[in-house]
Amino acid sequence: MANGLDPHTVGLLSNMSIMALLALSAYLLLLVGRISFGQQAFFGVGAYAAGILSSMFQAPIVLALGVGMAAGALLSWLLALPTMALSGLQYAVATLAVGELARIILSGWHWQVAAPHGWVGPDGIDGFREIRWLLERDVTPAHFLGWIACALLAVLVLLMRTERTRLGVALRMTGQDETLAATQGIDVIRLRLFAAAAAGALAALGGGLYAHRTTYIEPALFDPMLGVHAVGYALLGGLGSALGPLLGVVFDLGLLDATEVFHGWRMVIFGGLVALFLRWRPRGLLDERAVQWFVQLSSNKRS
Amino acid sequence: MLEIADLATAYGKIQALKGVSLTAKANQVTCLLGPNGAGKSTLMLTLAGILRPQRGSVKFEGEELVGLTPAQIVARGMALVPENRLVFPGLTVRENLLAGAYKRRDNVAIRSDIEAMFARFPRLGERQEQRAGTLSGGEQQMLAVARALMSRPRLLLMDEPSVGLAPMVVAEIFSIVRQLHQEGVSLFIVEQNAHMALKVAQHFYLMEQGSVSFSGNPGELAADELIQRAYLGQQRAQRSEP
Amino acid sequence: MTQALQLLIDGVLSGGSYALVALGLSLTFGSLRRLNLAYGATAMLAAYVGAWLHAQYQAPVWLVALAVVASAILTGAYVERLCFASPRVDPTQSRGLPVAGADGQEVVALASSFAIWMQLEQLAVNLLPRHLNTFPSLAAAQDWQLGELSVRPDRLLIGLAAVALTLGLAAWIERSRAGLSWRATAELRIAAHLVGMPVARLQAVGFACACALSGLAAFAVLSLDGQVTPMFGMWMLLKGLVAAMLGGLGSIRGALWGGLVLGVAESFSQELWGAQGRELCTYGLLLMVLVLPWQRLRRGPLNAGFA
Repeated sequence: MANGLDPHTVGLLSNMSIMALLALSAYLLLLVGRISFGQQAFFGVGAYAAGILSSMFQAPIVLALGVGMAAGALLSWLLALPTMALSGLQYAVATLAVGELARIILSGWHWQVAAPHGWVGPDGIDGFREIRWLLERDVTPAHFLGWIACALLAVLVLLMRTERTRLGVALRMTGQDETLAATQGIDVIRLRLFAAAAAGALAALGGGLYAHRTTYIEPALFDPMLGVHAVGYALLGGLGSALGPLLGVVFDLGLLDATEVFHGWRMVIFGGLVALFLRWRPRGLLDERAVQWFVQLSSNKRS
Repeated sequence: MLEIADLATAYGKIQALKGVSLTAKANQVTCLLGPNGAGKSTLMLTLAGILRPQRGSVKFEGEELVGLTPAQIVARGMALVPENRLVFPGLTVRENLLAGAYKRRDNVAIRSDIEAMFARFPRLGERQEQRAGTLSGGEQQMLAVARALMSRPRLLLMDEPSVGLAPMVVAEIFSIVRQLHQEGVSLFIVEQNAHMALKVAQHFYLMEQGSVSFSGNPGELAADELIQRAYLGQQRAQRSEP
Repeated sequence: MTQALQLLIDGVLSGGSYALVALGLSLTFGSLRRLNLAYGATAMLAAYVGAWLHAQYQAPVWLVALAVVASAILTGAYVERLCFASPRVDPTQSRGLPVAGADGQEVVALASSFAIWMQLEQLAVNLLPRHLNTFPSLAAAQDWQLGELSVRPDRLLIGLAAVALTLGLAAWIERSRAGLSWRATAELRIAAHLVGMPVARLQAVGFACACALSGLAAFAVLSLDGQVTPMFGMWMLLKGLVAAMLGGLGSIRGALWGGLVLGVAESFSQELWGAQGRELCTYGLLLMVLVLPWQRLRRGPLNAGFA
C-alpha cells in the first residue's frame, strides 16, 4: 500500500502524523482546561531520548520510543506539579518558560560517544545528527510511514475509547467547569497532572518518531512557534474528539501547506481562522455538539 | 417621570422580564417588591442600560432610553445603586466618589459635593483615603449610594439596598432615602424587605415571575397578605389561606 | 570590584530597554486584564514597516520612528477588535463579591492573541523576506568613560526615557481623571458602566497607548542594533513578559523594576555562565516568580495593581 506513494506524499503524510501526535498532546491539556505553549519541550525530550537510545546504545526502536515516552511523561508530570495549581493565565506563561528552558538546556548539552562513522550524540546548538537506526536496517520512508500511522492509529483508538469511560468523562468535565467537577468529587488537580503526564508521553512519542524520520534534530526546532501551532491545531480542529486535532493538522499541513496556492500566507490564514473560531465557535470545528450530531446521525441510520 | 411599557428582557436563555409596565412619578418614592427570581434585578439592569431588552420602551421625562448606552443614561439624570454595591474595591472612598462624578465637568462643584457627601455620611468621611474593598457591608452600601448621588441624578434607582445588612444599618439607609426624597430626588427602589420599604414608599408595585402583578398605595392591601406575597409569591400566599 | 560595578552599570542600562519593552505589555494587562501574546509580533510588524521605509525610500530617522509607532497603533487596533474587544457586559460575572481581574474570558483572549501572533509574524516576514534587515541606527560612536568604568550613552538615554515614561505614566494614571477612569474600568467593568464611563472607548484608547509604547520600545531597541531580524517578535514578547512579571504584571512602575532586575540578572549571569546561562537565568526567574507563593506579599505576578 505505502509503496504506491511518491516520496513527497510519504513525507507529507509522515509529517502530518507526527504533528498530529503533538497536536493531540496539546489537546489533552485543553481538554482539562489548560493551555500549554510548551509541549514542544517534551517533543524535544522524546526526540533526544529516543535518538540517544537507538544510536548511542543500539536499542531497538520500540524500546527507544518507549523510553522517550516515559521520559516525556515523567518530565511533564514533574513540571506540572508546581504549576498546575496556578491560574489558567499563569500556567500558560509558565509553559512558555518551560518550553524555552528545555530548548536552552538542550542547546548546551554535549554528550557524544564514538561510533563507526565518527562521534554521535547531542552536540549542543549543532544538534544531534546521525540518528541512523532506520537507515541501518533498510527501513524505507514509506515503510516507516506505516509504523508512524500505526502508532497514531493506536493513540487515536485509545483516546476515543477513553472518551466513553468514567476517566474520559471526568477529564472533559474538568475542562468545561472545574468548580462543578470538583463538587462531583473529581480531584481536579490530580486529573490535570495525569493529563499532563499523558500529554508529555504523546509529545515525546511524536518527537521520537520525528528524530528517526529525519535522522537529525536540533534545539532550534523546538521553539515556541511549534507549541503554538500544536495548540492552534487542537483549537481549530475541535475539542470534541481526538479526531479534532487531526483535522486541524490536515487542514494546515495538508491543505494550506501542501497546495502551493497559499504559499507565504499559510500562517496568516491559519492564525486568522483560529482567532475567528475562538470568537464564534470556541470549541473548534469538531466540537462536542458536532460530535453528538455525528453520533446521532449514525444511530439514526442504524435504526 | 419614568414610564416603563411592556419591557421584555432575556437573561441568557431565561425570559426574566415578560412584559413589565409601571410608572414612577416624580418627587415620589416608588417601590418594587417581589420574591427572589421575580426579575427585579434584571429590570434594574435593563433600566441602567446594561442589559438590552427585546421589546418595550422606557421613557424618562419623555425621552426614550432603550438603546442608549449606560453612560448616556447617566448623563440624562438617572443613576443606579446596584445590587451587591459594586464599589471599586481598589480605589479609595474619595476616588469612588470622583468616579461617580465622571460625567460632570464642574470641578469646583464636584469638590463641594464630595464634602457634602462626607457630611451626610460621616463614616465615609472618616475613611476617605481607605480602599473601598476594606469597608464593611453597610459602609459600602453608603458609598454606593453616595457614588450614585455624585452624578446629581434626578431619579435614583436602588437595587435591594438592605440585603445582607444589619437592621440598624438598614434603618440608616432608609432614613437616607427619606432625606433624599425630602430634598427632591425621586427614587425607584427594588426591595425584598417589604416592611421597611412600605414605610417610605408612596406607591408600590409587586412583581412576580417577570411581570407586575399588583400596583397600589401602602394600606390598600392588607399588610400581612402583601408581605406574604412579596416574600413568597402569589401561589404560596393563596395556598396558605384556609 | 570595578568589574562587578561595570556589570551592574551594564545591567541597569540594558534594564532600561527591558523596562520600555515591558511597559506596553503591563499597561495592556493593567487596563484590560488581558495578556496580549501578539505584543511582540505587533511591534515586529511595525518595525518591519519602518525598516522597509528606510530601505525603499531612504526615509529619515524621525519618519521611521513615527511610522513604527503609527503602524503599531494601527496593527493594535486590528488585534484589539479581534481578540480583546468585549461585546457586552455579562452581569452574571459580578454576582456576589466584586471580581477584580480574572473573568474566564482572559484565557480565550490569550488564545486568540497567539493566533494573531502567528498572523502578524508571517505578514512581517512577507514584507521583508530577508533574514537581516537594516534599521536606522542611532548607536553612539563612543562610550563615555568615567574612570575605569564605561557607560554607553545611547543606552543611558533609553534608560532615562524609560524612567521618565514609566514614572510619568504611573503618576498620570494615579492622579488624572482619565487615569481614574482607566483604573476603575480595569477594576470592575460593570460599575464603570454605571457611573457613566465609556468603557469600550477607554479600553480601546488604553490598548492603543500600549501599542504606541511597544512601537516606541521597538524603535529604541532596534536603533541601538541597527538591524532587525524575524526573531525580534519572539524576543520582544518573551523579554517583555519576564520583565513585566518580575515587577508584577499590570503595574506600570513594576515594569521599570522588573526591567532593571532582569537587566542586572542577565548581566551577571552572562558573565558567570555565558550566553546560555544568561537565558537560563531569565526563564528560571520567570518560572520562580510564577511558582513561588507570592500571596503574602502585596506584589504578585498578576495582582500588583495598576500603578
